[in-house]
Amino acid sequence: MDFSLLTDALASNSYEKIADICDNLLLQAAAEGVAYQDQWPYAIHLLGHIYADDINSARFLWKSIPSTSKESQPELVAAWKIGQKLWTRDYGAVHEAIHGFDWSQEIQGLVAAFSELYTKRMFQLLLSAYSTISIQDTALFLGMNEDDATNYVLRLGWVVDPASRMLTVKKQTIVTEQKLDATKLQRLTEYVFHLEH
Amino acid sequence: MGSLETLVAQIQGLSSSAGDISRLHVILKQAEDSLRSESTRLSPILSQLDPSIHSLGYLYILEACTSVPISKEQAATLVPYVARFISFCVPEQIRLAPDKFISVCKRFKEQVVLLDAPIRGVAPMLAAVQKLQSSSEHLTSLHPEFLLLCLLAKCYKTGMSILEDDIFEVDQPRDFFLYCYYGGMICIGQKRFRKALELLHNAVTAPMSNINAIAIEAYKKYIMVSLIHHGQFSTSLPKYTSSAAQRHLKNFCQPYIDLAVSYSTGKIAELEACIQTNREHFESDNNFGLVKQVVSSMYKRNIQRLTQTYLTLSLQDIANTVQLNSPKEAEMHVLQMIQDGEIFATINQKDGMVRFLEDPEQYKTCEMIEHIDSSIQRIMALSRKLTAIDEQISCDPLYLAKAGRERQRFDFDDFDTVPQKFNI
Repeated sequence: MDFSLLTDALASNSYEKIADICDNLLLQAAAEGVAYQDQWPYAIHLLGHIYADDINSARFLWKSIPSTSKESQPELVAAWKIGQKLWTRDYGAVHEAIHGFDWSQEIQGLVAAFSELYTKRMFQLLLSAYSTISIQDTALFLGMNEDDATNYVLRLGWVVDPASRMLTVKKQTIVTEQKLDATKLQRLTEYVFHLEH
Repeated sequence: MGSLETLVAQIQGLSSSAGDISRLHVILKQAEDSLRSESTRLSPILSQLDPSIHSLGYLYILEACTSVPISKEQAATLVPYVARFISFCVPEQIRLAPDKFISVCKRFKEQVVLLDAPIRGVAPMLAAVQKLQSSSEHLTSLHPEFLLLCLLAKCYKTGMSILEDDIFEVDQPRDFFLYCYYGGMICIGQKRFRKALELLHNAVTAPMSNINAIAIEAYKKYIMVSLIHHGQFSTSLPKYTSSAAQRHLKNFCQPYIDLAVSYSTGKIAELEACIQTNREHFESDNNFGLVKQVVSSMYKRNIQRLTQTYLTLSLQDIANTVQLNSPKEAEMHVLQMIQDGEIFATINQKDGMVRFLEDPEQYKTCEMIEHIDSSIQRIMALSRKLTAIDEQISCDPLYLAKAGRERQRFDFDDFDTVPQKFNI
């Protein structure tokens, strides 16, 4: 099997491509009748789906992995633990699953990148869902200790109330492109023309 | 044996130009019976042919090879041949004999299933679909086979790739029913409930003279997906649904209708009771997983309903009304719904309150305009298609003869207006 595409993607940190690359390679190998199961990098494949935020695909992949692989590869089981916690929306436990395993050299980069991405996603979630939140919960969601979490959000303009140990969320204004150009007007004209005829 | 060798020589000699290939096609058609009678001796010949050059000849011989029932061992040797053939064959050649190609691919599917390795068929079957179809709007008999393999091999994401295309052309009604049913299941697996609903709805409302099992199973799933996605279900089907479906579907799906009725009460306890009563039914239909998703959607639905009444509400009150155990549990439910974009709200942990907000979308960003624009484009394309079909039908002699006959029953004045009707 030719894993060069995959190793290239890993080497160039293009983690978002991993799931698709692995999917294609797997189907290709299967079609050619190669006995791929024993040497397939299931853990990377699984983390690729997780990185792409495609928990459904991760779950179906896990279901299709032969039990011998699951038993012989503790790293694969550890990778699925992350997926499992994401699936059950056990937000804090995802961080525990990430940090609770000594990842091998080739996977470390991927897991670290996911960890960073997940922290950002969680921050965005807190930002959109809360007006005030306890320091304790913020730390849980961001996967940090309370001091680090407080510092992290203070830098982004949140306000801390030491008495109640609560943080007040500072909403960010999102700037979106709202300008219309002439081609759009042209197209609208065509639509009206279409409707009238 | 002699004739077989001649045939191989002819396949090798007549596979280059289009003229040669049509001559070869005639020869192959004549040789069909003798090929079938020698089906057991054919597999060595395959190695003398190149699927990427002699596609048509290869196809005929492969079809004869697979025309007899084969054992598991034979399947194991044949499957790689077929997989290789599908990935290398020339589309123009195999489209000359679509029936042969379909039957080879269908048997190929049976073989990989027999070998207990459906995943081996996924990539070849996708390639087969792409080679056989004249355009992405064309539904072939291989679409449902591909989707079934995806389901069996749990390659749901790969299955999604062909479900994005809009279908306008169907060879066999059965293909369409199966495509919608399997496609619906794939979308359910990927939690794309809107698309699943669309596909299942098509399976239920497609024209049918008699009720069929696929439509019934699709209707069961349609009821549940409708509850999960819309939080409600209406038993009335659209006017264009066939009368067979209108009349009989509900009789076959009573437990599911009961489920929808108990869902509409908004009470978890009643829903649970209904599920307990019909549990065996749901389990034997392999729908119990979906039933569980119906239950969890009810909590969401009840929270969503609160947003219509209240501007702010305490987490404790939410927990009480929605029948959750604690304010924390209510907070997690609200949080998940915000994450999924199902409600707009902010949680205030300090006061234990939730403030419900309006949808912040103001429909004036460039992205939204692009989205609306592409929808308009699609609708315009659809309307052009409809007009074309309408024109086609109004020129169809069969239709005109029938419409004309029925017209005679009316008054002379009615008859007079006929020409106007066809002046499009």
